[in-house]
Amino acid sequence: MALLEARNLTKYFGGLAAVNRVDITVNAGEIVGLIGPNGAGKTTCFNLLSGFLPPTAGSITFNGEALVGLKPHHIVKRGLVRTFQLTTLFLDMTVLTNVLLGLHLSSQRGFGRVLLSLRSFPREEITRTHEVLEFTGLAPYADELAKNLPHGRQRTLGIAMALAARPLLLLLDEPVTGMNLDESQQVMNLVKTIRDRGTTVLLVEHNMKAVMGTCERIVVLNFGEKLTEGTPSEVGSNRAVIEAYLGSGGEHA
Amino acid sequence: MKSKIGIAVVLLVVVVLALFLPNFGGRYYTQIFVQVLINIMLAASLRPSLLCGQLNIGHSAFMAIGAYASALLAKNLGLPFELSLLFGGALSAAVGLIMGYPSLRLRGVYFAMVTVSFVEVIRLIAQLWVSLTRGMSGLSGIPKPSLLGMVLTTKASQYYLALGLLVIILLILYRLEYSRLGLIWKSIGMADNLSQSLGINVANYKLLAFTLGCFFAGVAGAYYASFFRFLFPPEFSFLLSVNILVYNFVGGRGHFIGPIVGAAFLTLLVEPFRGSAYETIFFSIAMLLTILFLPGGLITLPGKLAGLWSGSTGSAPATSAAT
Repeated sequence: MALLEARNLTKYFGGLAAVNRVDITVNAGEIVGLIGPNGAGKTTCFNLLSGFLPPTAGSITFNGEALVGLKPHHIVKRGLVRTFQLTTLFLDMTVLTNVLLGLHLSSQRGFGRVLLSLRSFPREEITRTHEVLEFTGLAPYADELAKNLPHGRQRTLGIAMALAARPLLLLLDEPVTGMNLDESQQVMNLVKTIRDRGTTVLLVEHNMKAVMGTCERIVVLNFGEKLTEGTPSEVGSNRAVIEAYLGSGGEHA
Repeated sequence: MKSKIGIAVVLLVVVVLALFLPNFGGRYYTQIFVQVLINIMLAASLRPSLLCGQLNIGHSAFMAIGAYASALLAKNLGLPFELSLLFGGALSAAVGLIMGYPSLRLRGVYFAMVTVSFVEVIRLIAQLWVSLTRGMSGLSGIPKPSLLGMVLTTKASQYYLALGLLVIILLILYRLEYSRLGLIWKSIGMADNLSQSLGINVANYKLLAFTLGCFFAGVAGAYYASFFRFLFPPEFSFLLSVNILVYNFVGGRGHFIGPIVGAAFLTLLVEPFRGSAYETIFFSIAMLLTILFLPGGLITLPGKLAGLWSGSTGSAPATSAAT
């Protein structure tokens, strides 16, 4: 059953179509990869799905509900949580506080609650935070400031914060870019474990080895349009995909 | 442990000093100390906005609204001080809410520009609505502050009123900053897109911080009106807004006491030059020196000195902005 279904998704920036008539379907329990050369529109797709940008045209259905027009903070509450490229974290806060905020902010029913409950965090939220830290391997760093973590751990922290928000669907924007082989292997194993625990994953990534080894289905974008879609081996042997990445000159081959 | 004792000693000294100040030096000095208290109110009430990452250079406008509203209510309608003070704050907050709702969508320097122009708008209204505010002749004859029907006639008693008011304001602001609400403000200041992606309605929390600041600026203005008993539009210029911002930067933005230290330090230091052109020069220099040598503000000075003392070349203990 389709958990996320984007139909005819289109975004124009001025006259330029950053995303043009793209259909993306993600079924519950899948790990789906979204790949494409630089400027193909992958991150724009993420921004459209998570409500950070309004689409020019097209529809997005998530868990049976239309998402277009909802604000990002409303979309999170429906179970669609994203991470950011690079390290977007609360850098001057501890790892524990970062995850606690991920958990807490997403479970906030609204404005009034925060005003009425000025006490510190409920015990069960702290317990759950420690669980997430344990699960993601960040427990030893709990009291470290986020800005002092090594790069790989910072990326993991971004994922941990999103996980704490209890997503049904997790959108990961370049989770292993800039990591060494070891680190990226760890993160990809984490992604698989996350899926096995019942969270569906859609990820954008440039690291082909990581994408091919983790995703069950891959959607390829090029110049804002969907080039093809299929299993890693289908996509890997597709002529159009190879041309998009290497150019069609032939001398590169 | 050692630093906790140190903090306790400093606090004790400050409290004792604050309580006994009006007994030294007479009227003139009492007036300066009241000015210090008012400036601390203004600086501290700007902090929530700054925590959210909003560069607000419009605080003097909201002080002016509170000052004129409460003064006119007390003078023309004979409202008791407590009520006119609250009305002044409430009107400030209401105007802040209406003004903040559209403009808080702007970021960084664009938001700052709107706040600057707002200061000028309010100042011009105070200047040109002569039938109500007396314009450039200034509004005089404002009733003295009173408490439960008892008029506070001496400057010393008025000083204690300001001190009490300041303590209440600081307690409220402190309580809020170190609650979940404060944590949310800080998270917005550090990475608003991340806060939003975690389910925070960023616009609403920014608006709350802004409106709260406007309320207390209005209260500070209302007290100001009753103490000095004379309001003059140019007093509430853009320059005052900049000064309030400078208090925060020079004191240090990493901790709640930053604006308190900054406002007290700069108000006392600048007093000999007040009203002259040197005042602006002085503030600019203080700001530049801070940016160059103490990016964390005056509150990081003890840590830096301790670092020098122990001869360590390592970085001074950073005052954590978090939790």
